[in-house]
Amino acid sequence: MPRRNDAHKTSDARLRRTQQFSQRCGRRGEPPPHIRRQSRFEAVKTLKRRASTPLPYTATFKDHLTNPRNVGELPNPTVVAEETNPVCGDRLRLSLIIKNNQIEVAKYLAYGCPPTLVSGSVLTEMIIGRSASEAANLTSAELIEAVGGLPGRKHHAASLAIEALRACLSSI
Amino acid sequence: MSRSLTANFGNPSSVHSFGQQARAAVDRARREVAALIGARQNELIFVSGGTEANNLAIRGLCEAVQDHGQHIITSTIEHPSVRGVLETLEKRGWEVSRLPVSEKGIVKIEDVRSALRPDTVLISVMLANNEIGTIQPITEIGNLIREQRQEGHKNLWLHTDAVQAAGRIQLNVDELGCDLLSLSGHKLYAPKGIGALYVRRGVRIFGQNVGGHQERERRAGTENVPAIVALGEAARIAREEIEQRSIEVRRLRDRFEAEVTRRINDVVMNGDRDLRLPHLSNISFRYIEGEGLLINLDPQGVAVSTGSACSSGTLEPSPVIRALGHNDELARGSIRFSFGKDNTEEDVDYAVEVLVAAVVRLRELSPLNKTLAQVR
Repeated sequence: MPRRNDAHKTSDARLRRTQQFSQRCGRRGEPPPHIRRQSRFEAVKTLKRRASTPLPYTATFKDHLTNPRNVGELPNPTVVAEETNPVCGDRLRLSLIIKNNQIEVAKYLAYGCPPTLVSGSVLTEMIIGRSASEAANLTSAELIEAVGGLPGRKHHAASLAIEALRACLSSI
Repeated sequence: MSRSLTANFGNPSSVHSFGQQARAAVDRARREVAALIGARQNELIFVSGGTEANNLAIRGLCEAVQDHGQHIITSTIEHPSVRGVLETLEKRGWEVSRLPVSEKGIVKIEDVRSALRPDTVLISVMLANNEIGTIQPITEIGNLIREQRQEGHKNLWLHTDAVQAAGRIQLNVDELGCDLLSLSGHKLYAPKGIGALYVRRGVRIFGQNVGGHQERERRAGTENVPAIVALGEAARIAREEIEQRSIEVRRLRDRFEAEVTRRINDVVMNGDRDLRLPHLSNISFRYIEGEGLLINLDPQGVAVSTGSACSSGTLEPSPVIRALGHNDELARGSIRFSFGKDNTEEDVDYAVEVLVAAVVRLRELSPLNKTLAQVR
C-alpha cells in the first residue's frame, strides 16, 4: 500500500497555508490585495452592483420612519450643528440643550433617504439623558445596531448623524 | 397563455404537430403586435423585453454598418438601457452626440440637424420619455432622415425606444419613419420578460444572440411561447381599447395634478403639459427627498417611483430631471405617478390624501425650508 502523504498535517505546512491565505486576503479588516488594486472605476462599479439589491427595513426602522421622535428645532439651544453628505446631498441638523454636561433635550431635522431620517430619530433617543462625554463616544456602528441594521450602502446615514453629534459636542 | 403552458407546449422550431401548433400561436401573436404599430409580421423580432430590444437594435445595427461611419446621435433623456449600450460603443471607439432637451423635456429638431455629420449612421431618440412622458419629434426626425437620404446620405437610420408609448398612443412605423422600434410587454399589461423589436424590411442588423435560426436568424433561442402569446393578446386588446384608455387615464392624471397643485405648495410639474403621454405625471416636491416620500407612501398602498439617487442605486439623481435644467434638490425630490386602466377616481382621491399627509410630515422634518438658527 502506498505511503499516505501526511505532509499537509504538519504544523509547518499548516503555517505555510495560513500565510498564503493571509497574503491573498490581506490583514484582518483590510480588503485583499486584488481588491485594493481596484481602480476607482471598478470600485464605483462594485458600489453600483451592491446598490442594486433591495433594502430590508426592520420593524424598528419602519417605526421610526412613520413615527419619528424629537423632530424639530429648539428655540434656545445650547448648540446646533448641521452636516451634509456631499455625495448624495443628505443633510441632518441637530440641536441640543446641555446642562451640567447632561444632554437634556435633543431635536433633529433631516433631509434625505429613509436611513438618514431614521438615524436622526434613533440618535436623539440614544443621547437624551447621557452625558456629553458619553455621547461623544457613540459610534456609527452602535447607531446602526440601534436602528436595527442597515445595508452597507446606507451606512453613510448613520455616519452623517454621528458627525452632526460630534460637531455639536466639539463646539461646547 | 395558460394553454401555452399546458396543452400547447410544443417548440415552435419543431417540425411535428406539437411544434407547429406552437408556431401558429407565435405567428398569431406576431400579427397582433405588428398591427399595433402598423408593421409587417416579418419585421418583428420577439425578445426578452425593452432592454434587449434596445441592445439588439443599437448594437445590431452599428455592428452591421460600422464601415459607413461611427457616429451616433441621441438625447440626454434616454432610458438607461440605451445609455448603457451607447457607453459601451463609445469605449469601442464610436462617437456619440447627446442632444440636450428644452426645459419642457423635448428634443429640438434644429439640434438634430446641427449634429448630423457625414459619418452619422444612427439617430436613437426615444418616442416618449419613461419618467416625464414627453413625446419626442420622431416624425420630424424621420422626415429629416428622408431628406438626408435623398441628398445622398444613405447610410443613416432611425431607432426609437417606444417602450413607454406603445399601447398608450397611436403608433405607425411608416408615419414615424423609423427603421427600428423597441417595445416591451409589461407596459402593455403582458407579463414581464417579453418584448419585441421592429426592424424595417431591408434594414440589416447583426444578431446578438447567435447559434440558432429563430427569428430569421436575428435572435437565436427557443421562443418564450407563453409570454409571446400573452404579448400578442395584450397588443390586440391595447389596439382595440387605446382611445378609451387614453381618455380615461388622462382624465385621472389631470384630476390628480389639479388636486396636488391646489393642496400642496412648492411643487414643480416636470415636462411639457401637452406633448406627453396621457398616463404619467412627474412632480418635484421641494424640501423633501424622493425615496423618503416613496417609503412613506408605500405602506399606505400607493406605489410610485422616484428620481432620487438613493433609490436608483446610483450616486446621481435623475439625469432626466437634471436635463430639464433643474438642480439636484428638485431632481432628488421628483416622483413619477403612473395611472393605469384599472385605476379609479377613488384611487386618485385616496392617493392625493396620502400624498398630502406624507409631504406635510416630511417637510416638518426637513431642514431645507428652515434657516439655520444662530446659536448664542
